[in-house]
Amino acid sequence: MNYQYIEQLLERYWGCQTTLEEEQILRSFFKQEDVPNHLMQYAPFFALEAEEKYEKLGEDFDKRILAMTETENKTVEAKQVKLSTRLAPFFKAAAVVAVLLTISNIAERALQKNSASSTTVGVTDTYTKKEDITAKIKIIDHTQSEAMAKADSLKQAPAIHKEDMMLE
Amino acid sequence: MKEISFKNDVLPLKDKLFRLALRITSNREEAEDIVQDTLIKLWNQRDEWSAIQNMETYSMTVCRNLALDSLNKRERQNISLDETVHDQPDISRTQDEALIRQQQMDSIQAIIQQLPEKQRTIILLRDIEEKSYQEIADIMGVSLSDVKVNLFRARQTVKTKINKS
Repeated sequence: MNYQYIEQLLERYWGCQTTLEEEQILRSFFKQEDVPNHLMQYAPFFALEAEEKYEKLGEDFDKRILAMTETENKTVEAKQVKLSTRLAPFFKAAAVVAVLLTISNIAERALQKNSASSTTVGVTDTYTKKEDITAKIKIIDHTQSEAMAKADSLKQAPAIHKEDMMLE
Repeated sequence: MKEISFKNDVLPLKDKLFRLALRITSNREEAEDIVQDTLIKLWNQRDEWSAIQNMETYSMTVCRNLALDSLNKRERQNISLDETVHDQPDISRTQDEALIRQQQMDSIQAIIQQLPEKQRTIILLRDIEEKSYQEIADIMGVSLSDVKVNLFRARQTVKTKINKS
């Protein structure tokens, strides 16, 4: 067999003039069993290079790295869960505001009703007192027997009224 | 631009990174730690991945720098440089053919390990990872002619030492 081509390639290899393809040819040539004696000394070098290509990390390496990155990965995925997730706090806030507005609205109405009824009660109360007074006045009006008594009663009535108002 | 996935695009580079770190440090455990550090570093930079032109080149640069740091640290601490260099062939052991072959490989390994780091890294990137001169220059952050000169010196040294032995 003529090894001229290989010899030539080899010379160019040491001189850094070979292409990647030519270097591959050399490596596969030296991988075979029947390398001629005069080229034999170079065989271990190319064999070593071919062997080093299979130098690899252990099986568990991936698991270890992924375990180190995956814990963070989850948060990243959560972050990536788009606009809706990002806006969730605003939606929540909006919902809370809506609920508060509804409640305040209802409360306001209830209070209005309440205050209206309480005003009525107040008025009735006053009326009761006024009625007393009017009743007294009426009684006095009805009795109109004595002019002096009538005058006295009329003087007393506003006095009682004033006292009541002050008590209130 | 294609989105880079850590699991599918970065993690599969691990063996290349391992060989590179191993070539520089000559220590498997140290090399494994360096690959791990490289991958974690890349992971932590994931927000900037879109700005990286070539992930493989970039990760190899990161890995080489970490390996060189580790080497410098060890040298400062005066710890023996190459553990595997001590596995030099002991010819008196046996004449078994497979063993002879192993011894030959070991002596070649020793020749390569005695080369300066730049040269042995270039040999690895060219012959084992089959990178173009330009890619090697990019990974190592040196000029194209620097790559060629260093590869030439490395191959000449290897050739001379093989023929001497």
